[in-house]
Amino acid sequence: MAESPRSDDERVSPSGDGETVAGTDREVATDGGTASGVDGRVSDLTTFLRERPRLRTLSIAGPPYGILLFFFAIPLLAMLVVSFQADRIGGAWTLRNYTGFLTSETYLTVVWRTFLISVQVTAIVAGVGYGLAYSIVRFSRRTTLLLLLVILPFWTSYIIRMYAWINILQSDGVLDSTLNLAGLPALSLLYTDTAVLIGFTYVWLPLAVLPFYASLTNLDGDLIEASKDLGAGPIRTFLSVTLPMTINGVITGIVLVFIPTFGSFITPRLLGGTNNIMIGMVIENQFKSAFNWPFGAAIGIVISVVVVVLLVLATRLGGGLFGAGGETS
Amino acid sequence: MRKVTDGSTSLKRRRFLQGAVTTGAAAAAGCLGGGGGGGDRVPMDVTEWPPEDLESNLNLWNWYDSWAEYAIDAFGEEFDVDVSNSGYSSADQWYSQLQAGNDEIDNIAATTNWVERSIENDFLHEIPVDVMPAWDNITDRIKEASSYQQDGSVYGVPESLVLYPLTYNDEYFDSAPDSWGVLWDEEHEGDLCMWDNATVSCQIAALYTGQDPIQPDDYDEIEEVLIQQKPLLQTYWGDYQQGMSLFVNEDVVAGPLTMGRTYTARFQEDAPVHYTAPQEGAMYTSDLFVIPKGAPNPIASLQFTNWASETENAAQLFETMGYQPAVDISDELSEEDAEFTNWPDEWDLVFSETLSDEVRSRYDEIWTAVKAA
Repeated sequence: MAESPRSDDERVSPSGDGETVAGTDREVATDGGTASGVDGRVSDLTTFLRERPRLRTLSIAGPPYGILLFFFAIPLLAMLVVSFQADRIGGAWTLRNYTGFLTSETYLTVVWRTFLISVQVTAIVAGVGYGLAYSIVRFSRRTTLLLLLVILPFWTSYIIRMYAWINILQSDGVLDSTLNLAGLPALSLLYTDTAVLIGFTYVWLPLAVLPFYASLTNLDGDLIEASKDLGAGPIRTFLSVTLPMTINGVITGIVLVFIPTFGSFITPRLLGGTNNIMIGMVIENQFKSAFNWPFGAAIGIVISVVVVVLLVLATRLGGGLFGAGGETS
Repeated sequence: MRKVTDGSTSLKRRRFLQGAVTTGAAAAAGCLGGGGGGGDRVPMDVTEWPPEDLESNLNLWNWYDSWAEYAIDAFGEEFDVDVSNSGYSSADQWYSQLQAGNDEIDNIAATTNWVERSIENDFLHEIPVDVMPAWDNITDRIKEASSYQQDGSVYGVPESLVLYPLTYNDEYFDSAPDSWGVLWDEEHEGDLCMWDNATVSCQIAALYTGQDPIQPDDYDEIEEVLIQQKPLLQTYWGDYQQGMSLFVNEDVVAGPLTMGRTYTARFQEDAPVHYTAPQEGAMYTSDLFVIPKGAPNPIASLQFTNWASETENAAQLFETMGYQPAVDISDELSEEDAEFTNWPDEWDLVFSETLSDEVRSRYDEIWTAVKAA
């Protein structure tokens, strides 16, 4: 919903009752002449900018766009340039990095494997996360405490969390010992695909739960009741009311999980077995051990494009299926 | 052969692109240095020992964490210098700082190949080893290895020898395995591991197949045997702690691990492990103390480099971390430690020279193919 334009020198009154005052001259007058002088200069500056809308727009939008330009766009552009150089930065111009990557069965296999793992992780996190967020919103009174528990793992280093999982999943670790106590056979999950999925799910769950929670909070409960009154069962109500009304949050959560999973290399390295290579590990190797930065840059560019295309397609597909834009906040 | 200089124009362009590519990471790490720094003096200004007017601070980047803790106290007290250390796990962490313009790091413990890269890019100060008394302590074996000395200039002082041996469970095996072939023995299926490192693993395969690990002649054979080996492995370990834990928890009975981690597993974790160099040979490299350009305290760093190479202090590297210092410390060790650190003359040890771009690239391709197979 578009906000109504508000004049710059309007201020919400300190009482918070919605009354506005023009400027703050009366307040600063009690602070002495120096403050008043500063305020006067601020007022002059405000007037100056108001008379120059382009300059005002630039002063507001300039800093964030500057940050985007210098810390995202230019490095990305530099990466693009480097990706067309042979062997090393400053090497001869070539397409070899792209042709070598796109025609290699090995690298394409790794990309496909990465895609499959990312889809599995995203699906699991979305399912578990949505259920968790739904139960927090609908059935719990201790919302703040539960959300705190969800984000609590973020306070611990990623590596330490992975080592915690190693201790849990390893042979005779916490999980196996617990199962043995219950008279069940040990699972020895460490260094398996399952361990990688568990590690990813644990790490990314908070990233999905928070947008899911935000969208579910804005869901009007009366709509669910109306759906039931009209004879819809729980599943139909979920598919025709709850999910469409929260689809933007779902898509946000999926994006937040899918992208970092696609580029991950630490979790599969620490928890996975001999078959858990992902494209992030290949890129890492190009920069840290193979020292072929141009090739690493080319893979990075290709993967970025692939991920963006996949997400655009998924977003459109999701919006088409469920009618995106249910939330108005 | 790697080209050292491409002319000033291409060098500037390369530097700009390197800077642009690393800017994001450098800024995120809060390490946007301005270059320069380091005061007016450089190590080569020291012509007599001991150097005078040491700076009052010293910033180390040394990945031998436990030894660095000893050094912080001992060196700090002896020379009244406030010492700090940033332990690191991967050399690119400090290398990116040098690329961005160092104004923080005084002294780095750097592996040979990274030292060579740093020399090529003019990131390191030359070191006046001729005036340093402890230079004489460095054993000839390591002094002559590596290429940290170029065109008559010395850019590093060896700190340690790092052996990449075959580590094994000495309760499982009656005697030390005499061949890398143990890692291809189906009898041990599921109880073996390899290092998730393209160079190390491909060089082991090269040794196993009787090839020169620095310049192999049959890459297909290396790839083939590594793929054959894959079903026998429990995992490829990617982190030193993880690799050590595999042996400590007795999840595996044989695989590559560093000598230092083997020492830690054996003497600090009471794991039944030992190491050997199989008959086909084993690789070793060295870590060196280097003083990067832009170091704010270069003279204190030089004094530290000499101090660290004194026998008593070098011996602490073995006592705390289990790595072989570049100094002869045999008189400082217990009988047990002396036995552990002894490398028999019959071992065929191959210095891990910096690989050519082609070999490194092929090893990386092979390793990716093996893991994707």
